[in-house]
Amino acid sequence: MKKNVIILGLLFSYLFTNGQDLGEIHGDFNLNLQSYLEDASINAVAADEVIRNNSYLNILFTRNNFTAGVRYESYLNALLDYDDDFKGNGIPYRFATYSTSGLEITAGNFYEQFGSGLIFRSYEEKGLGIDNAMDGIRLKYKIGNGINLKTFIAKSRTYFTYADGIFRGIDAEIDLNQAMNLTSKTKYILGGSFVSRYQQRSNPLFELPQNVGLYAGRLNLINGGWNYFGEYAYKINDPLNSIQQENVNYASGSAFTSSLTYSKKGFGITAEIHRADNMLLLSDRDRIGKAYILNYIPTLSKPHAYSLLALYPCATQAMGELGFQLDIFYKINKGTLLGGRYGTKLNFNVSRINGLNSGNSFLNDNQDHTPILISVIDEELYYSDINLEINKKLNKKVRYNLVVANQTYNKDFLEGKTPGEYGVINSTIGVLDISYKIKKGHSIRMELQTLMAKQLETASKKEEGDWVMGLAEYTISPNWFFAVQDMYNYGNEDVSKQLHYINLNVGFIKGANRFEIGYGKKREGIFCVGGVCKLVPSSNGLNFNITSSF
Amino acid sequence: MKNLIYSIFIISLISSCDIIEEPYINNNGGGVDTSSNQYVKNILIEDFTGHLCQNCPDAARELEAIHDVYGAQIIGLAIHVGNTFARPYPLSQTKFTYDFRSKWGEELDNFFNITDAGLPKGMINRIGYPNDHRKDKGQWLSSVGDELSKDVIFGINISSTLLTDNAEIIINTDALKNTTGNYKLVVCLTENGIINWQKDGTLEDQNYIHNHVLRSVISSTWGDEVTLDSEINNGDSFEHSYSINLSDLENFNMDHSANVLFQGNGQAGDWDINNFGIVAYIYDNDNYEIIQVEQISISTK
Repeated sequence: MKKNVIILGLLFSYLFTNGQDLGEIHGDFNLNLQSYLEDASINAVAADEVIRNNSYLNILFTRNNFTAGVRYESYLNALLDYDDDFKGNGIPYRFATYSTSGLEITAGNFYEQFGSGLIFRSYEEKGLGIDNAMDGIRLKYKIGNGINLKTFIAKSRTYFTYADGIFRGIDAEIDLNQAMNLTSKTKYILGGSFVSRYQQRSNPLFELPQNVGLYAGRLNLINGGWNYFGEYAYKINDPLNSIQQENVNYASGSAFTSSLTYSKKGFGITAEIHRADNMLLLSDRDRIGKAYILNYIPTLSKPHAYSLLALYPCATQAMGELGFQLDIFYKINKGTLLGGRYGTKLNFNVSRINGLNSGNSFLNDNQDHTPILISVIDEELYYSDINLEINKKLNKKVRYNLVVANQTYNKDFLEGKTPGEYGVINSTIGVLDISYKIKKGHSIRMELQTLMAKQLETASKKEEGDWVMGLAEYTISPNWFFAVQDMYNYGNEDVSKQLHYINLNVGFIKGANRFEIGYGKKREGIFCVGGVCKLVPSSNGLNFNITSSF
Repeated sequence: MKNLIYSIFIISLISSCDIIEEPYINNNGGGVDTSSNQYVKNILIEDFTGHLCQNCPDAARELEAIHDVYGAQIIGLAIHVGNTFARPYPLSQTKFTYDFRSKWGEELDNFFNITDAGLPKGMINRIGYPNDHRKDKGQWLSSVGDELSKDVIFGINISSTLLTDNAEIIINTDALKNTTGNYKLVVCLTENGIINWQKDGTLEDQNYIHNHVLRSVISSTWGDEVTLDSEINNGDSFEHSYSINLSDLENFNMDHSANVLFQGNGQAGDWDINNFGIVAYIYDNDNYEIIQVEQISISTK
């Protein structure tokens, strides 16, 4: 803490003693206050503190090629959907960076990702309560035309402290066309990266690697409307520090992602496959939990924003999954029968993710298992989604978005339940989202959603079943918005849980300040961003948010 | 020059990789030589668990495996806690109806905030309090290794006399070093070999064996003063005695389950005294670290 104050002091003294070019200071502030009332009907518990709050203040100073910044974080106490290790106040994020002659040096905290993140991704996502910022030294260097190097040596943040592992990493990316002055129409971009974690461990029974290395190579080819991206990653043995033989896995890990896209005006198609096997990188090999995960397997299913489409979301399984996705975008031209006056946008998407053949790779003195590379038939289905989205502007006042989807969700597996508890849930979902511009500055938006669910096998627990949802949002731009929303679980097999989840929100925006107050009930559920998920407990209470920037 | 520095940096990075070849197991480890000392450093692993927690048996097995390596120096205490994983099913159900929870387990959980961090979690001699005391099972082995290297400050001797269901328990504590501090003595009863339902990974095991289950704390939850003296000298000896009636304690748990605990159903009885043990530990009241722990089975004189 003292150090942080000194850094701030230095920053400001630098600012005010350097004559004419004072540089610039910018910042933003975010407050999230929530009250928690007891509500036995949805298993919501009251918070002892009655209200809880997460707040953040970022301050960024830039002058020429120098930037420094700090973030103050306050959890008094953290919102209930956050890990309770976020506790108290502090300045966990501070950094200074400058660049000169192609070399950029960062000391302190930074976020970084190599390639698509298969071997390394340090990031912040407040919605998930994840911040695994690195703390150390990072260098970026442009060696020449089209060649960029990044290296770092750092530790990874967990809550208000740093995980045990020390990370060293390097990433090189070469744009061959630039580097070799190629005149080819095809653009070739090659990348390679390496990350190593050092964590001292002794084990009375097993040999443990102290340094665990990960490699990845990637290729990006671009030719006209065609774009191919592929990345392969490998991790050496990284066993848990246990003395139960059945837990100690010396198998290496691997992952690949491969996608081919073709796009032209009004049309785009992407086909994608990925596979991960024993490919979890932890910032502390002995810990469990999302706060310690330091690599990222990009999600393969379409990220949905509508409530009922996201009711059963897909969590990516770094320990083992194989998935496919096809995404087609097409715009029907305006002036045609289906296109109407403004044209019609269609988006068809299908994805399917299953487990690996007999689980992930496993190797020790007693067991040696390597799953089949590509195996789909008879493998355990984790998730599938087939959906069609139609977006259309009818006239100057009305536009709508229509989505129909069918999703299959392996609740037992994805939520870590005992097989047979909830089984596999298949749901058919319809969403209609209509916006109507009443007059200048006044508009109304309505969402109507329905979800019809069935358990595909008999399960011991009662299912939530069918839902409907309605939302009305009235906006008086640029200052006000009002929203009312109700999610109604009318099909719950447990009659006492056929409940309405009503939420009311009012927002006021003026200049760079935005205030929002709301009241409502939230259902317990899984919330995901990019395939990374967290459990959100049910709650009932008021919330108040401020965002502000300067 | 920059390129040179970069090259050195890259080479040093690439060499940072330890691939282990078969055989992976080695047998160098084990407990300490106990032949020359009367007392050795023992370690209490408080395993916070629940019968509905499917990952908990794996933690219990880790505890057993650590015990297999380090022997009697490792003492386990299984503390069933929380509304999510330890609540019993209603009596109308056929499984998971037993209530393993206790008043003391809930008090420990509330104070150390264990279930908030998710089960299974353990405390290894409670080191790391208040920020780093809740250990995932993958951390237990390293923490045990750290603890084993610490000095022995106290030796504990437990003796008990059992007459039907009345027991007299005497705890003798010997100071092995000069020390100052506020030390507390906690005495618990545990039960081994309880066969009952447990979720275990993808299984629901009807015949799971629950070991060293915390049944009762017969001192106060936060312990009795080892001594009122501010200075403790090497060679000092302290005696604490406790008289208990096991039926009363059993009835207390059943009553507490039925009337106090969340969704409790009173099914906290059927104690088998033959499988009971006594665990006594001394902790430093300043940082809650457990300094020494000992256990015996209840009928041993």
